[in-house]
Amino acid sequence: MNVRLETLALTTLVIPEGRLDFSAAAGFEKQLEQVLAGAGTAPARVIIDCAALEYVSSAGLRVFLRALRASQRAGISFALCALKPPIQEVFDLSGFSRIITVYQDRATALAHQPQARA
Amino acid sequence: MIERRTTVPSEAAQLWVLTQFLQEFWSAAHLPPAQALPFELALEEVFMNVVLHGTTAGALCEVEVSMALTSDGLTMTIEDEGPGFDPLSLPPPDVTASLADRRVGGLGVFLVRQMMDSVSYERVAGRNQLRMSKRLTG
Repeated sequence: MNVRLETLALTTLVIPEGRLDFSAAAGFEKQLEQVLAGAGTAPARVIIDCAALEYVSSAGLRVFLRALRASQRAGISFALCALKPPIQEVFDLSGFSRIITVYQDRATALAHQPQARA
Repeated sequence: MIERRTTVPSEAAQLWVLTQFLQEFWSAAHLPPAQALPFELALEEVFMNVVLHGTTAGALCEVEVSMALTSDGLTMTIEDEGPGFDPLSLPPPDVTASLADRRVGGLGVFLVRQMMDSVSYERVAGRNQLRMSKRLTG
């Protein structure tokens, strides 16, 4: 799996391309940790753009769950967008759609202001 | 009927070999790519369960995967020589739990059961045999 990063003001876009399986999970988790650490300055929000994500297994879901928890601890807004239909089904069946914010596409995700955190 | 089978040792590094095997079967049988994910996911979840929990630490066993396409749908059977274990006996995860209480253990098998039309386990001749079937549309 290849991962690209884009930065727009205080938003970091993480763009995974390919398959998020057991073999890719550990590397992707490390990359997300680095993004969340933000080289010392926490970004206001992280959006994972999944438009080029072809596959996710429970090993991949685990990475998203850990990243969501880490982002909440750091006060960073965390969302996903642009899930392909088979991946959306995995999120729906696993109940992850209810605990992770998922936007329809990148434009919709960017249009939402990061939620203020108490 | 189209049938294919392959055997690999229970090592994580073999996951890509099995993924390749499934993808080659998929294109050889001219199956719709958009319907591959449930089988890819089932293959990974069941195989990785054998790799991570199926044998005593450090030991390997053989894992055989077979695919059979009939007019009723596609059946994938995964067999291993590890100690007897029925993955369908695992309690389902609470998929309505809040973020703080959410656990991922058991989620893989749960997803397999949800995405397949039928899943059955048998212990046959000293082997664990998990059979998964799903009708393909279009």
